[in-house]
Amino acid sequence: MENDMGLIVKTMARATIPLIGIFGAYVISHGHLTPGGGFQGGATVAGAGILFLVVFGLNEAKKRYDKNLYSALEGLGGLAFLGAAMLGLSIAFFYNILWRDKIAFAGQPGTLLSAGYLPIMNLAVGLKVFTGLVSAMMAIALFRRWKK
Amino acid sequence: MNALPFLIIVPLFGAFSMPLIKLISEKVRDIWAVIISAVTLGVAADVFYTIWKTNKIIVYTLGDTTPLGKGVGFPIRIVWEVDLLGALIAVTIAFVSLLAIIYSLEYMRHDTGLDKYYTLILILELGMLGIVITGDIFNFYVFLEIMSIASYALVAFRNDTWEGIEAGIKYMFVGSLASSFILLGIALLYGQYGTLTMAYLSQYITREPTFVSKVALAFILGGLLFKSGAVPVHMWLADAHPAAPSSISAMLSGLVIKAGGVYAIARILFSIYSISLNIRTLGWIIIFFACLTLIVGNAMAVIQTDMKRLFAFSSVGQIGYILLGIGIGLAAYGTDIGQIALAGAIYHTVNHAIMKALLFLVAGAVLHEVGTKNLNELSGLARRMPLTSFAFLVGAAAIIGMPPLNGFASKWLLYESSALYNPFLAAVAVVGTAFCTAAYIRVLFTFFGKESEKVKAAKDPGKAMIIPMIILILAIIIMGLLPWQINESIMIPTAKMLEESGKYVLAVLGG
Repeated sequence: MENDMGLIVKTMARATIPLIGIFGAYVISHGHLTPGGGFQGGATVAGAGILFLVVFGLNEAKKRYDKNLYSALEGLGGLAFLGAAMLGLSIAFFYNILWRDKIAFAGQPGTLLSAGYLPIMNLAVGLKVFTGLVSAMMAIALFRRWKK
Repeated sequence: MNALPFLIIVPLFGAFSMPLIKLISEKVRDIWAVIISAVTLGVAADVFYTIWKTNKIIVYTLGDTTPLGKGVGFPIRIVWEVDLLGALIAVTIAFVSLLAIIYSLEYMRHDTGLDKYYTLILILELGMLGIVITGDIFNFYVFLEIMSIASYALVAFRNDTWEGIEAGIKYMFVGSLASSFILLGIALLYGQYGTLTMAYLSQYITREPTFVSKVALAFILGGLLFKSGAVPVHMWLADAHPAAPSSISAMLSGLVIKAGGVYAIARILFSIYSISLNIRTLGWIIIFFACLTLIVGNAMAVIQTDMKRLFAFSSVGQIGYILLGIGIGLAAYGTDIGQIALAGAIYHTVNHAIMKALLFLVAGAVLHEVGTKNLNELSGLARRMPLTSFAFLVGAAAIIGMPPLNGFASKWLLYESSALYNPFLAAVAVVGTAFCTAAYIRVLFTFFGKESEKVKAAKDPGKAMIIPMIILILAIIIMGLLPWQINESIMIPTAKMLEESGKYVLAVLGG
């Protein structure tokens, strides 16, 4: 099926997809320091996946997309978020015990390894948003019912 | 340790782990959904029992031990605040959801993508539970959206027919419009007062009731009337509720329009606004919509030929009764009549959740066995599906308000209080019930009539579908045998607690 794009677009996409991915990863990992966070970064990374789908076509994307894996990773992202929120349950739900009791991610405020559970939650949300959006996009591409 | 956060944690854990559990096997996935919802019911019952026993509002702060900020006297954190009303509705939600999930084990067996179905149904339950326990108005909005989006997706779950997709899209447009009204109202309140905590907001509005706060109330009330399916804006309900799979219809009609509509109206009117407005006018506004709703909803039910559509319109009518109780409770605030009306409204909320869930499960069983929900083709079903027909008989008698069943007590309280407050309202309520009776008698005659070709091969459904129905029948009968005891020990204290908005404020802000 001819649903991919021309050579110029493909070459450009090959160059930009990794960069978009890296930028998204940066936004996720600096979520507690700079504007953006798990959702925005995850959406950016998913943008790389969607670019791949648009440029190289559905058939090429299907080879690299495993429904069960993505669905499991999405669940894992949610569970990690919930787990991070439950760490401080002995005091309160969403209590930031990692930061307040200086257990982990308890560096100087403003550095990467600070803010307690926030980096963990951002990673979890980023994973969930990335896998979820890519799955949604694949579903839209796969299940279109109008003209074949 | 406080059990309250587990009301959210357990269904959330179940929903998130569903894609992983599904990898083991389909059987495990089904059992997992049942276990999760059963544990949720346990937690909800525990929370309810704690509050009922101590008669104290539970305040739970997310992320810290106190809602108040450091060195300041006002709350800055998200709080969950549960009083008896919230806990009572939470128990109802968890109970009906558990039965709907058990029912879907068999009812949905032939569908694909069931891990998404169970994820969504748990998310729907979570959204409703969140609405009834939250004490923060933006948190309320977030849970409302979680609930709404899960229900849009579930209405359109069977996407092999256009009926479901059309209803889902229609529901989504109307629901999003309603949600944006609510969000606008919340934004206005936040802009005016700079806080989102309901208790602090209540104190603030009482101190300076500005024009903006009234506009915000109008927006929020408009949105919530949309969500509860009150009459001028009920058109989405009659499409969305019949098109969903029947287990979902039971949750939508029994729970979603209560938690996201009527409960929220009661909470916002009583706990946030009550003493700061002209309460009599506000009450009469609600009463006006209630009368409209209960006449139009029940009257529309009479002329339907689609069984599930009939039940959906009947839900609109029953929402009218609940709104009538809330309206009288506001208009006669502080008197015995108001308290009786409010107790009746709360009682009817719980009763209707159980009765309507039963009726939709019956409709689902008929649809599952016969393959049609058109009443013209279902004649003479009673001989082939005796248990199902008996379940329908009990549900219909309860919803009409026949004495030995649970609907009698709540409707009696509503008639009594409306007759004492204004006899005209009682007349309207009785006329509504007359229409309701006519609608259900029609279905009853269809069921017990001459046997038609279509139903010859029908038989009662399997265990997983019968057991939830039997549990609901038992609940209806047991609640029907102890009407005044339940009213005295649960409903009146709940109404009292809801009326005392001062305590709701003090529970967060401290004495």
